[in-house]
Amino acid sequence: MKQLVRSQGFGAIIGVVVMLVVFSLIDFSGWWTAQTITNVTQFTAILSFVAMGQALVIMTKEIDLSVGSVYGLAGVAFITLEPSFGVPGSLVIALVMAAFVGFLQALTVVKGHLPSMIVTLGGLFAVRGIIYVWTGGSVHNFSADARIHPVTRLFGGELFGVEAAIFWLVVAASLLGLVLWATPFGNRLLATGGSRESAESRGVRTDRVKICAFVLCSLLAGFAGILTLCNQPQTHVTLGENMELEAISAAVIGGCLLTGGRGSIIGAVLGALIVVSFRYELIALGAPSSWYVTFVGVVLIVAVIFNQKLARFLGHSV
Amino acid sequence: MKFGNSILLSALMAATALGGIAHAQDGEKQYRFVMVSHIGSNDPNMGWLTKSMEEFEKKYPNVKTEYISTNNYSVQEHVRLLEQAISTQPDGIAVPIVSSDAFEGPLRKAIEAGIPVVAFNIPDGRPEGERIPYLTYVGGDEYLTGKKLGEYALEKAEAGEIPKPTHVVCASHDSAHQGLKARCAGMKDAMEKAGAKVDELFIGAEPATARNTLQSFLQANPDTNYIFTVAGWSSPWAWGVANEMKLDPDVDDKGVTVLTVDEGPVSIEGVRAGHVLATNSQGFWLQGYAPMEWLYWNKEFGYAPQSNILTGPVIINKDNADKWAELVRGVFGDKAYDEQNTW
Repeated sequence: MKQLVRSQGFGAIIGVVVMLVVFSLIDFSGWWTAQTITNVTQFTAILSFVAMGQALVIMTKEIDLSVGSVYGLAGVAFITLEPSFGVPGSLVIALVMAAFVGFLQALTVVKGHLPSMIVTLGGLFAVRGIIYVWTGGSVHNFSADARIHPVTRLFGGELFGVEAAIFWLVVAASLLGLVLWATPFGNRLLATGGSRESAESRGVRTDRVKICAFVLCSLLAGFAGILTLCNQPQTHVTLGENMELEAISAAVIGGCLLTGGRGSIIGAVLGALIVVSFRYELIALGAPSSWYVTFVGVVLIVAVIFNQKLARFLGHSV
Repeated sequence: MKFGNSILLSALMAATALGGIAHAQDGEKQYRFVMVSHIGSNDPNMGWLTKSMEEFEKKYPNVKTEYISTNNYSVQEHVRLLEQAISTQPDGIAVPIVSSDAFEGPLRKAIEAGIPVVAFNIPDGRPEGERIPYLTYVGGDEYLTGKKLGEYALEKAEAGEIPKPTHVVCASHDSAHQGLKARCAGMKDAMEKAGAKVDELFIGAEPATARNTLQSFLQANPDTNYIFTVAGWSSPWAWGVANEMKLDPDVDDKGVTVLTVDEGPVSIEGVRAGHVLATNSQGFWLQGYAPMEWLYWNKEFGYAPQSNILTGPVIINKDNADKWAELVRGVFGDKAYDEQNTW
C-alpha cells in the first residue's frame, strides 16, 4: 500500500476513482453498461498506446508533438501499401516508417542540441504534409481480402472475447512497465530525465536513451494507428489529428512531470481513461461536444497542480 | 421558381461550357484567375474543382487559372491566403464566403480595385444590399441541401420504406463552418415539421474521436433513428458505429437511417450498397468551371449575371446512383474511385 501511494501513477488512480464515483452518482444506469464500458475502454486502449510513448519521452525531459501525425502516417501506409506488400508486409513497413520518423527526430534533437518541442512540431507538420501528398486528400479503402486476413483479425475486432486493442494494451503496458521498473534501461531513462549531468557522470549514454525513447514513442503511435485501422479499415487524412495533445494530456494527468525523471506507464493509461471517459460522459449527459475540450483543459491543470503537490508531499523534488 | 430558374441557368451554363462554344485565339488578352478555397488536398472534392479548372484552361488557353487552399483550415489562414492572392493583382477571384465578416474587408478592397469576384460554394448569407458586392454566387445552397434531403427522407418514411423520424442527429466535423451549419439547419427545418427532434453534434474530423463521440451520443439518446453526416467520408463511420451498436443502420423500415452529402465515391457507393438512404450533388464540377467562365465573360464582354447560380442540390438515391457512379468514375478514374470507396 505504501508503495502504491508513493508510485508516480497514484495521482491518476485517485483521479480515476473520483471520476468513477462522480459518474456513478450522476449517471449510474448510463455509465455502468456493457456498451459504455466497451466503447470507453476500446478508445482508451488506442489513446493509451500514444500516451505511453509520450510518457517515456516526457520522462527523459523531452516532448514529442508529432505522435498524432505519426499515428496517421502509419495508418495511411498500412492501408495504401497493402495492395503491393500484403497485410504483414505493409504492417512491417508502416512500423518501420514510424520508427524512422522517431529516429530522425531524436537524432536532430540530440545531435543538433535542439529543443524537442520545435523539432517534433516540425515533424508534426512535415509528416501531416506527407499524408496529404500521399493520399491526395482522398480516403482509402482496405480490400475485402485484407479485412479478413488473419493479421488484420489479430489486431482488430475481438481476441479471446476481448476487444483486440485492449488485449494488446495489456500486453504492451505490462512489457513497458517491466522495462521501466525492472531493467537497467528503465533506470537510465528515468535518470536521464531526472538529471542528465548526474546520469552521464554515472556512465549513462543519455543520447542513446533519448533516441530509444523517441523511437519507442513513434513505434507505439504507429502501432496505435494500425490497431485503429485493423478495427475500422478506413483511412482519412485527418487520422490522428490533435491526438498529440490528448496524449500529452493523458501522460501529464497520469503523473508525468514535464521536468522529467518521473512518470509511469499505468499512469499514462489511466490518464487516457480519464480523457476518453470525460468526452464520453459529457456527451452522454447532453453537454455540447465542444465542452469536452474545455473540460480536458481544466482536468489537465487540476491534475498538474495535484500531481505536483502530491510529489512534494511524498518528499520528491519537482 | 427562383430556384428553378437558377437550376435552368446552371444547366444552360453547363451546356455552354461543355459544348465548347468559345475558343481562344492567338493574340488574345491574357488573364489570370485565382480560386482561393477552403477545400484543400485533404478533401476529395478538391479534385472536382481542379479538374474542371484544367478543362477551362484547355478551352481558353489565354487564361491561366490558379487554385490555392489550406489544409489546416482556419478563417484567419483563409483570409491571409486571400490577401496574398489579391496582392498579386489577378484578373479575377473566385472564393467561398466562409465568413462574411472576415472576408468583407479584403474582398471589398479587391472589388474597388477593379478585380471581379465570384463567390462559389458558400455565398454571403446576408440580405441583398448588405452582402459583399461580388458578381454572382455559383454553387449549391447548403440550407437547401439539408432541407431537400430531409424532405426526401420524409417522403420515403410516409411511403413506409423507412422508419418515421423521431430524433435526428446532425453529425458535423467542423463547428465553425457556416455551410455545414446551414445543412443542419435545413435538415432541422424539414424534420421538425414532421415532429422529430433534431440535435447538432460536433464529432470532429479525426475518425476514432468522431466514432467515440457519436457512439456516446447514440448510447445516451436511444430514440435517435436518423443520422445525417454533413460530410460523405464520415458516413461509413456513422454506419459502423450504429452497426456495432446493433441499431440496424441499413436502409429498411426499421432501425437507424443514415443520410449524407456529396457526390463522392463513398457517398454514392453507400447509397448503392443500401447503407445510406440518399446523398446529394451540389454540382462540384460546375463550381470549379462556372466561376472561371463568368470571370472571363465579365472581363471580356462585361457580362454580369443578375441572380445567384445554383448548381444543386440534386438528390442521389438508389434510383439514380448507378448513373452517378458512372459519371464520377469518369472524372476520378476507376482506380481512385475504388480506392476511395471505404465501405
